[in-house]
Order: sequence, then C-alpha cells, then structure tokens
Amino acid sequence: MATLLINGKSHTVVAPDDTKLLWVLRERLRMTGTKFGCGMAQCGACTVHLNGDAVRSCQVTLAQAAGKKITTIEGLHPQGQHPLQVAWIAEQVPQCGYCQSGQIMQAAALLAKNPTPTDADINTAMAGNLCRCATYLRIRRAIKRAAQGV
Amino acid sequence: MARRIDRRDFIKTTTVAGVGLTLSFTLPGVGVRTAAALSAWEPNTQMTLTPDGLVTVHIFKAEMGQGVGTALAQIVAEELEVDWKDIRIDYPTSDPKHGLMITGGSWSVNWTFDKLSRAAVAARTMLIAAAAQQWKVPASECVAERSTVRHAPTGRFLTYGQIVDKVPIAARTWSEDDLKKLTLKKPEEYRVVGHWAARLDIPEKVNGKAKFGIDTFLPGMVYAKVAYPPTREGAKVKAVDDKAAKGVKGYVKTVVAGDLVAALGTTYEAATQARDALKVTWDNGPNAAVSTESITRDYEQKAKEDMTSPAWVEKGDVKGALGQASKTHEATYVTDYVAHAPLEPMNCVAKFEGGVADIYTGCQFQTMAMGAISKQLGIKEDKVRVHQHYLGGGFGRRLEPDAIVEAVVIAREAGKPVKLIRSREEDFKRDYFRSFTLQRLRGGLDAEGKLTAWDNTLVAAYPGERYAGLDDKGRDQFALNGADHVYDIPNQFVRAVRKETGISVGYVRAVAPNYTFFAVETFIDELAQLAKVDAVQFRLAMLKDAPRLAAVLRMVADRAEWGKPLPPNTGLGIACVTAQEKKDPTWTASAIQARVDPQSGKVTVEKVVCAVDCGIIVNPDGARSQVEGSLLFGISNALKERITIQNGQPVQSNFHDYHLLRMNEVPDVVEVHFVKSKEYPTGLGEPGTTTVAPALSNAIFAATGARVRSVPFLPDRVLAALKAKT
Repeated sequence: MATLLINGKSHTVVAPDDTKLLWVLRERLRMTGTKFGCGMAQCGACTVHLNGDAVRSCQVTLAQAAGKKITTIEGLHPQGQHPLQVAWIAEQVPQCGYCQSGQIMQAAALLAKNPTPTDADINTAMAGNLCRCATYLRIRRAIKRAAQGV
Repeated sequence: MARRIDRRDFIKTTTVAGVGLTLSFTLPGVGVRTAAALSAWEPNTQMTLTPDGLVTVHIFKAEMGQGVGTALAQIVAEELEVDWKDIRIDYPTSDPKHGLMITGGSWSVNWTFDKLSRAAVAARTMLIAAAAQQWKVPASECVAERSTVRHAPTGRFLTYGQIVDKVPIAARTWSEDDLKKLTLKKPEEYRVVGHWAARLDIPEKVNGKAKFGIDTFLPGMVYAKVAYPPTREGAKVKAVDDKAAKGVKGYVKTVVAGDLVAALGTTYEAATQARDALKVTWDNGPNAAVSTESITRDYEQKAKEDMTSPAWVEKGDVKGALGQASKTHEATYVTDYVAHAPLEPMNCVAKFEGGVADIYTGCQFQTMAMGAISKQLGIKEDKVRVHQHYLGGGFGRRLEPDAIVEAVVIAREAGKPVKLIRSREEDFKRDYFRSFTLQRLRGGLDAEGKLTAWDNTLVAAYPGERYAGLDDKGRDQFALNGADHVYDIPNQFVRAVRKETGISVGYVRAVAPNYTFFAVETFIDELAQLAKVDAVQFRLAMLKDAPRLAAVLRMVADRAEWGKPLPPNTGLGIACVTAQEKKDPTWTASAIQARVDPQSGKVTVEKVVCAVDCGIIVNPDGARSQVEGSLLFGISNALKERITIQNGQPVQSNFHDYHLLRMNEVPDVVEVHFVKSKEYPTGLGEPGTTTVAPALSNAIFAATGARVRSVPFLPDRVLAALKAKT
C-alpha cells in the first residue's frame, strides 16, 4: 500500500511495492493518458514528471514514487492549455496520437529547464521518445513555437 | 473467412448498405450525443442531422493518424453546405449491414470522395425541397448555404436544425442512376475541400483524453496473458501444467483452447506472473530450424530455378531483346523483414455474453474480424460488434484479427470480460512482418542506349492467402504492385514467385511498392549509368505516356537542384513511383541528399524533396502531414529496420534491438510540394514511403560510387559495398 500525490491529489493504492507506476496509473487509477509502449524505457510513451523531472513510469516502482510529486498529462495544465499543448494544436502535430502525451511531458520538462532550446537541445532531449508516425518535424516546430510564446 | 478486397465488391456492398438504399425517418435520439436532440434525421447511413443544428458524419474508416475523419467530413460539409463549426464525427460500431469495413491501401478518400459527395448533394436536395414545400415556393428559388436554406427572392431562411426539428422532410429513395445524375461542384467552387481545416481528433490527443483500445475497462473484467509458442508458425501444445500458476496471488484461471494457452489474473501483473509460471510443453513444429540464412538460401535458389511461376507482367519478347542487346546488366536486390511496430502494442478487451461478442479495440478491418470471430465461435456475423477506438498506429498491423480472436476465445472460456495486452516483446514475436524479398533483375540496352529489355524475378511470401486475396493464378497483387511500373519498355517480363517460409507475413505500410520500387528505381539508375545518360533524362525518355509522373520528377529535380556539385561523400539520388496501385496511382517523386561516412559506413540523410500529384487535395495540411510522416517512415525502414530469424522466430524483441528513426536522426530539411490538380483524388498515406529506399540507394551511389542492394542500408552493408567497389 502506498500514497501517491498525482496532479495535486492524494491517491491510496493497494498494490505490491514493486508494481510499476505506469500500471498503477493506467490500470488501477485508470488515468490512461500515460501510455504503455515498450516497458523498458526505450520509447518514452509513459513519460511523467516525478518532482519535476521527466521519468519513464514503466521503470519507477510504486515504492519509489510514494511521497513524490507526480504530474501526468492530465495534470500538466488545469485546462489543458499548457503552452506546449496550445503549440501542439497550432502546429497540428499528432497523427495517431499514442506517443504524444509522452512527447509533451518530455518537452515540458525540457522547457522548464531550458526555455529557449536550440535544435541540438531538442534533438538530445527528445531522442528517447519514439513516434512511429514520425511527427518529429512538427514536434520540433511546436517546441520552438511554445518556447517563443506564440 | 474474409471477403476479397476488391474495388468492385466494395462498391457493390456499400451501395446496398449506403446511399442506394436511402432511408428517411425520424429516430428518437439514436446515435445522437446531444442531450437537447429529440429527433434526428438520417438521410443515409453516412450522416445524421439533429435539431441542435449539428451534422454528425459517420466515419466507417479507422482513425490511425491519417486524419481520415476530418477529410471525409470536409467532403460532406462541402456538398451539404454545412458550416464547418456544425460538423461532428463519430466512428460506428461494426455491423454487416455497413458492407466492407476496411481501412488501408491509401484508399479511404479515393474510394469515398464521389460517393460521399453525392450522398451529401442528395441530402441537401431533400432539405431544400422540405423548406420550399414549407414556404410553398419552387425549390429552384431556394439555396443552401452555411447550414441554412434561404429563399432567395424574399430572404426567408430556415436553419438545418429548424428543418430537422419542425419541417416535414419528404422521404425519397435515390437509385444509383438518380445519384449519378446529381451535379457535383467544380473544384473552383470548393469552400471546404482543399481549404485548411484543423483536424477534429487532435485536441483530445494533446490532453490525454483520446481513448485507444488499450484504454478500455469493462465491469468485472480480468486480465489475460497468453503463453505464446516458441516458433512463429506450426508449434503444437503437448501438455500444460498450471500447478505453480495456481499459487500466484490474483490467479483466476488457466485457459487451454487448442493451441491457445493463457493465464487469467485480477491484475495485469498477476496475469503475467501466472502465465510465466505455466509449464507448457510444445512440439516446436516444422519451422524450428528456419533462419535468415536458410530463407536467403531458399530465395536465391527459387530466383535461379523457378521457371513455372506465373507472370505478373508480360510484354513483347524479353529473351529475344536481351539476346540482341548491345549491353546487358543484372542485379539482385534483397529486402529484410520489417515489423509494423505500432506504438500501441496489440491489445483487445472482449466480452462474450448471451451469444454476442463485444470487441473493444482499434481495428482496420472489422469485416475480417467479424468473419474470424463468427467462424471461431460459431455465431453469426451480426452477433459480433467491434466497438471502434482510436488506433495507436495501424500501418497494416490492425488489419489482422489475431489478438481479437485470442481475447474473445479467452473471454468465452473465462465466462467474463477479459483485457488482453501484449507486451512489446510479444508484439514483435507475433507480428506479421513485411515479407523478406529477393528481386533479380536483368536489363538490356540497344545500340543507342535505349532500354529495350526488362526481366524481373520477384520472390516473396504472400499475405493474400489469409485475406482470400489470391487471384486465379495464385498471385497476390498486394505483394506485387509496383513491379508493373509505367516505363515505356518494349519487352518486359516479371515473374511472380511465391515462397512461404514459416514466418508469417502481412501488409506493412506502403506494402509491396516499398520493396518493388526499391528494386525498379535503383535498377533504372544502374541502367542509366550503363547507358551514360543522366538519370532524370533516362527516366523522362520512358515516361511519354505518364506525363503526371514526368511532371513530379521534373519538379523534384528542379527543387533539389539536380546536377549541382556537392561536397565529398555527399550525393543526391532520385526516384519516382506510381504507388500504391498502377490503376489509381499517386504520382510521386523524391530526391534525397545523403552523406556517407566512408570510415563507419553510416548514412546520414540531409535533405528530402518530395513532389506529389494526388489529384484534388481534401485537407492540405493533413495531406502534408501524411507525406512528411510517410517519408520519415521510409527513412526509418531504409536505414534501420531489420528483423532477422533464428529457430523459427524473430530475433529482435523490443526497441533496443529493433531500431526506429528518432528525433536526432530526422533530416533538417524535408520539403513537400503538391501539384495543383482538379483530377479525382488518390491516396497519400503510403506513396511517399516507397520513394525513399531507391532515392537513398541512388544517393549513396552518387556519394560513393558504391551500390548497396540490400535494405536496410546498415553501416556494414555500406562498408561491404564500398569495399567491393575498390
């Protein structure tokens, strides 16, 4: 059993300590915006923030997450109007959309630390997030758009 | 099992289910999401109008990122004269009455543009007639615009919502002839088609609210994990021992149904642990020794020895022409297995209660799923309901009903709803790969350097068997398309050699043209080299009967500055294609600039310039997005993706050893140019992909003088080609 602080709300979870945060979020709390893609930190679809850092929730155990501040796509912005979400719509980024929660969470962590990333910064920060539809060109543009505050 | 994917059948079935049998009645709120709506008007199966003024377009195609819902809604909005803000879309649950339900082949707009346009004009005509009747004026004095009908002489108007709410709409049955006689708008009159429209599915894809199949929960459901066999095809269960599984906390049940073995648990983790604790004894079957080496050997032998397989193309006298040629050339091209790898692993939630199978998943081919379940469970197809969800990538993988069938059989055995989620490792293990292929080409030039002989032996495995898609000669057109290129060569022979391997194959995005055009367009380049003619000019000389292809080829040559000197180890390659099918092609050409590191053999794509003529473009930004994605998908295929086989199963298991293109490998410049056109629209999801491998192999040659004839162009293959050159 553990208490998780997710998007500012406290949740009590009854599950073994080594249960992965991803599966707790998705299958127990039914917060399905965070996605399962690979289970081995190779695709980034499950990216959430743990105390502000982008982490792969498929690698974080319930015990490790307990007591920390967890932010998921559902809590990135109260009205879903984070500058990146606005930019993602303006640039019409998603295709199938499955990886996009992870992409946005990863990009949000990047912008929080580096408000004006270069192409190289973006490439480095986003290289762990796969998009099989290959919307990469638009992801790049949307991150820059959000950074410029347009 | 499944019906043939045939254009004629498609039109026939959808005519029965669609606008040919036009219904006109009032439904009490059926299928309507708006609480305010008390009645709705369904002029046909494609659309519903409600008193709140909304028009819901029913999208029978799967939304897998191609923006199909928005595009089809634009077609309806155009001819029905609906204000775009009044448009909504939904994705109906499968029903045999809807006819063939399939999404693939870049067919969606091509197959529905005319039909949807006419259905919308018919509905508009009925709305105008209703208003005219109400006002007792001639219909000819009334016009429809922005979701209203207006009486031009007096300025009186009724909104569509008001008409649906209060005005009797006369029932009218439209025969096919009636529909054919309707006048459609001319492209220059379009106000919605060809204009910018934000994709309707995007807002919920940036806030986590979009529901994919994997996001489904049913009351009382349990989780299922399958114990998959040790070989891809042909293994049999000998014994199952579930003693240890029963000890797992949260264990529910073991299911053994034929060769399907699964453990059920109250959670995903419990099901996984219970499945891992199962001791299954397998007979590994006849394919246990199959490997990439054995397949390569078999394919080479087949290409050399097969003299009886049917022709796919036969024209003139190739033997004679080769004999008389002043120069001949031969080359063999190999493409490896490629995985679909949609980012949402295959999954399904299924329930079987009261003789009805309810399926919750993202599905590209509901008709096949209904047929497979009907056969498996012994129920009628109308007792199967596939509840459509967003697809976390399709790419052809979600045509296959395998996960759906597993889930529903387990649900029947369990007597409760089940959620089946494959791990990424299982997703790779059970994929239906793009076939391994080997293409042996021979060409002959006459004394003037004109290409007079073309001989191709194409060896591939055919997914068509499972789709009931083989023709009377046993050929699978979807494994061969593209080998029938449009170059004007007097003597041609293409032999279609089928070779199954024990490794299941399927249709992967861009399908056959992704390997056929690699061989065709690289070989053409090699022949141009042999003829000492510029590769663009060499092609143009053979495209007199394909002016639209010649035009896109010229366009990319121009935009990519063909012929301009480039730095060392850097080259520009070009390719043009008639994908996906020769009869309704999207005329596409690409020029790719690539740099080759002679030490490591690593290829870097610096720039892609693509030109596309797909006729009328319905949603310009969506079209651009599709071409951008399809080009990068092609780069991923051409540079990185390779499944190898050992012991009858794939070696690669996850994204650490099956590599996809990542952000840091995306070229700085990707230019997409569309030809302005009033021609009937064709498809856009795949053609771009098919230009990449050949343009890139030609770029590698231009950069280094070395030919790499195996896809993907892995560094060791590039190094081997560089070595072979010197």
